[in-house]
Amino acid sequence: MASVAEVLAAPPKHKELVKNVQLEGQVLLKIMQHCNEALPQVVTGQLLGLDVGQQLEVTDCFPFPAVVPEEEGDGEDNYQLQMMHRLRDVNVDNNTVGWYQSANFGSFQTVELIDTFMNYHENIKKCVCIIYDPQRSARGTIALKAIRLKESFVDLHKEGKMTLKGFREANLSWRDIFVELPIKLRNSNLVQALVASLAPAPTATQADVERLNLSTAPFLERNIQSLVECVDDIVQEQQKVTMYHKNVARQQQLFSAWLAKRRQENAQRAQDGQEPLPEEDPAQFRPIAEPSMLDNYLVTNQISTYCDQINLAASEAIQKLFLMEGMQKAGL
Amino acid sequence: MAASVSIRVHPVVLFSICDAFTRRKEHQDRVIGTLLGVVDGNVIEVKNCYVVPHNESSEQVMVDVVHHKTMFDLHQRVAPHEVIVGWFATGPELYNSDALIQEFYSKESAHPVHIVVDTTLRDDKFAIQAYTSRVLSLGDKTLATEFVEIPCETIFGDIERVGAELMLTGFNDPSPEAKKDTVNKSFNDEAETLAASMQRLADLVARASDYVDSVNSGKVQGDPAIGRYLADTLALVPHLAKPDFERLFNESVQDSMMVTYLSDLLRAHVALAERLGTAALPIM
Repeated sequence: MASVAEVLAAPPKHKELVKNVQLEGQVLLKIMQHCNEALPQVVTGQLLGLDVGQQLEVTDCFPFPAVVPEEEGDGEDNYQLQMMHRLRDVNVDNNTVGWYQSANFGSFQTVELIDTFMNYHENIKKCVCIIYDPQRSARGTIALKAIRLKESFVDLHKEGKMTLKGFREANLSWRDIFVELPIKLRNSNLVQALVASLAPAPTATQADVERLNLSTAPFLERNIQSLVECVDDIVQEQQKVTMYHKNVARQQQLFSAWLAKRRQENAQRAQDGQEPLPEEDPAQFRPIAEPSMLDNYLVTNQISTYCDQINLAASEAIQKLFLMEGMQKAGL
Repeated sequence: MAASVSIRVHPVVLFSICDAFTRRKEHQDRVIGTLLGVVDGNVIEVKNCYVVPHNESSEQVMVDVVHHKTMFDLHQRVAPHEVIVGWFATGPELYNSDALIQEFYSKESAHPVHIVVDTTLRDDKFAIQAYTSRVLSLGDKTLATEFVEIPCETIFGDIERVGAELMLTGFNDPSPEAKKDTVNKSFNDEAETLAASMQRLADLVARASDYVDSVNSGKVQGDPAIGRYLADTLALVPHLAKPDFERLFNESVQDSMMVTYLSDLLRAHVALAERLGTAALPIM
């Protein structure tokens, strides 16, 4: 599979970036079915398709098993490989273009996600992750997102410069980790015929019912709860940074004290006509590793997602309330 | 039991079958495959499927058993509760070789069902038919396999319905530009769709009241069932006294405002932190 991907990501096309994602109807339904059935478990699966210039066409997908059997260490790879072979036999585009995963209330920005992205990046330059949020979708809107990592972030990650300094030198802010891509839905003509014959457009759709539901409180509550957790996280991250600065300051103090002592000693030795001792840094003053800023940035990203969701839900709630008021007034 | 069985198909299965059909090999008339699902009493719910390569001539049929077995094992690892319930084929009608394939699937499942999806769109219809088989025998000798048609319906889960409707509303407008727009909008903008939903609700209420009016004026013979539904629906509408409603309304609006304020505050924090170039939230 890697070879196919390499051929496709051949040098001339190499620089081109994915600009939008085209989903096929069956992929959408498969993702929805898999993610909803597994609730509240978070599940993942693989996306198969083609990349055509700036567009990534996702034409099929298959789910990953939730638990990898213990006896074979490479169980998942094996499963993946077998599945791809079988699918190739029936002419499915067997070219990995990314993966999908479910996210509860939009919480997907994790270190694991970044790691997975980096893993995929080794073989496939153009890969996307589709995030599907079953809980939000239950409220009448399909919460689907396609994201990829920003190239400059990938480069930075490869160099391992996940520190504040690294980020600042690369001029990256927390906004620059993920890039969201627009999603288009497309179906073959045959499938369009199927959709049309399956359900003639109903007058009131299920989505309407969910959308007009007045109770947004549980959703908001969950969001705020997660938001509070995020703020706690970021405070913790902040403490790490403070600790680091404290440690560095203390180390420097110790070092200068030691240096002063060593110089005194050396002056003494020079008087006695002895060789001076080196003024080099001994092993105990090794520089302290700077904490990674990745977590911090991810949590910030998360916070911004929650804020967006809350704002959206709250403004929606207010709209609905005023609608209610209007109806009530008209009725009275 | 064979006669009373009914089948419920999830739309995702039909989508996959269509996709498989468009991906069939050259010179191949139809595709066949295995159906996976759950059996609950007399209702068989078909939730998943996969294609099995096959080769057929007028005389014989070859099914890739290894492929079938591996795919089943792989699916079992994801969804252990799904079992083989039957098989599907595309095409306008039953073929001669179907009996042979049916025989093969009887080994995999106690009562395999056979679903035929007419991808040729004969009579401009997307016909989906389900069959179960009955063995005709004389004494100990098996003479033939008879396919008996059984009821088959497509069901949507709540969220699947939303997805299908999304595709449907996207396709109502024939121009490709408009299609693209609708799709993108429904993915992102929750607020704008609210207006459309409200409009549809108003239309429905208007239709109901038109109906009631015409019954009252004697133009249409009233249907007691509809009347009962309307009465039940009206009974569900809560009657609130004005002060109560205002209190409720104000409280809810204030709650929402408060929440918005909080989230905006936090956003301001984050933005400030970014400007200051520190990782810390400045006022915390």
